[in-house]
Amino acid sequence: MSIPDIFRRVLETEEIDGDSDFFALGGDSLLATRVLSAVARHYAVELTFDDFVLAPTPDALAKQIASVVQ
Amino acid sequence: MRVVVAGAGLAGLTAATELVAAGADVTVLEARDRVGGRTHGIEVAAGRWVDAGAAYLGDRHTALHEQLDRLGLRTTPTTMVGDSRFLLGAPDGATRHGRFPPLNAVALGELFDLLGDLTATVRPDAPWLTPDAAHLDTRTAADWAAEHLRHPDARLFFPLFLGEMMAADPAAVSILHVAFYLRSGGGIRYLNAFEGGAQQDRIDGGAHQLCEKLAANLRVRLNAPVQAVHQDDTGVTVHSGLGELRADAIVVALPPLLADRLDLPGLTHRRAGASTARGCTVKVHLVYPRPLWRDHGLSGWSVNAGGPLLSTVDDSPTADAGVLTGFVTGAEAHRFAALTAAERHAEVLAQAKRIFPRLPEPIDCHVTDWTNEPYSRGCYAALFGPGDWRRLGPHLTTPHGRVHWAGTETSTEFFGLMEGAIRSGHRAATEITQEWSPR
Repeated sequence: MSIPDIFRRVLETEEIDGDSDFFALGGDSLLATRVLSAVARHYAVELTFDDFVLAPTPDALAKQIASVVQ
Repeated sequence: MRVVVAGAGLAGLTAATELVAAGADVTVLEARDRVGGRTHGIEVAAGRWVDAGAAYLGDRHTALHEQLDRLGLRTTPTTMVGDSRFLLGAPDGATRHGRFPPLNAVALGELFDLLGDLTATVRPDAPWLTPDAAHLDTRTAADWAAEHLRHPDARLFFPLFLGEMMAADPAAVSILHVAFYLRSGGGIRYLNAFEGGAQQDRIDGGAHQLCEKLAANLRVRLNAPVQAVHQDDTGVTVHSGLGELRADAIVVALPPLLADRLDLPGLTHRRAGASTARGCTVKVHLVYPRPLWRDHGLSGWSVNAGGPLLSTVDDSPTADAGVLTGFVTGAEAHRFAALTAAERHAEVLAQAKRIFPRLPEPIDCHVTDWTNEPYSRGCYAALFGPGDWRRLGPHLTTPHGRVHWAGTETSTEFFGLMEGAIRSGHRAATEITQEWSPR
């Protein structure tokens, strides 16, 4: 599942692109954990809540994941 | 048409108001010396009120908003600004931005994924018809957690979450009830959220005003606990502390554990079972000259693994009256409620010092024990234990002849909340006008 798709599923909206800010779109801390569990499931990377706060868009989160994987 | 309403909480007073509007002659019988039921106000300073009982509401609580508008009551946002405090293991606790606890986020996400999946399977209008209801109804939430939660942080957080959401000890509720409750309240996220969720607002001046304003236009008899309801072909005879009253029908707007103790000859389906438990809540209000924690960049929000205060929230009525509300919920509520007043006070003050080391001693401390309230028997709502949904669920709203049922536990929409109470009152009033009005 792509990261924008994870955002779409968790936020229950189709209106997501690469620079959509999760928290500006109504994401709260509870929903954020569901993004992080999906990232762990699909990319085998465990990010922290603080990682996500610093990278709250699909593009930024993808970079964050790539930096951990390398 | 004459109608008696048993219980002057939000459900009973809503039903009574609607029946009067439909032309009925209504008498409300209330056991306590006050109206309000599980809403109750405490005046912490002159003209400054806090909610000792039900307090919060969100935009989806449409029936409640309608009633507030009609009564000229306003809401005020619960907005919290600043950092939160967490005592979840580290000796000095942790201070963090936002409401997210310093626990493994992936583990908590997996917990919410599991709960979300479960919640999605529930039949919200008829939980007993949920696929796999037989299995889900027999297992407690504690059984479910032991089977599904592997990470220690998820195991630590689950009881705190259930305590906060529904005042439940995981060992006392079925996992079907948990899934239903979360679904009924609008889903995990809605029920948990302040902004954009079920805790978005408070009622300015206190939720108890709703009941007081409704009661002001009704005939309400206080100190009149209903004991028995007998019926025949022409009506009901209601036996209360005030003697006998004759009516065409009655609305029993009592929590299930109290309704179940009434003498109701011929009742075929009990209102509560052996595993139906009291919602476990003790609400504590710590009063300060003003919201001093805001000076330190703190929101007043905290989550704590140890009791008595498992969470705190800033409920300051105004900027000149600081109030931290502490929630003692679940199993901890039973332990705390059994202490003497002096012991409770000492525990609360010691813990407040650990959570907010820079705060002075509060100028006042109020403790409201709903768990042992004889005329509530728990709060926020009754907890359905193993077997209850399949046994009680199908009959929650089924009238027993001229006896009709109301109360938040009879509403599958927003069960346990003020919104559920109001919706149940509307339903019961409609049933009675349709069934018993003279033709």
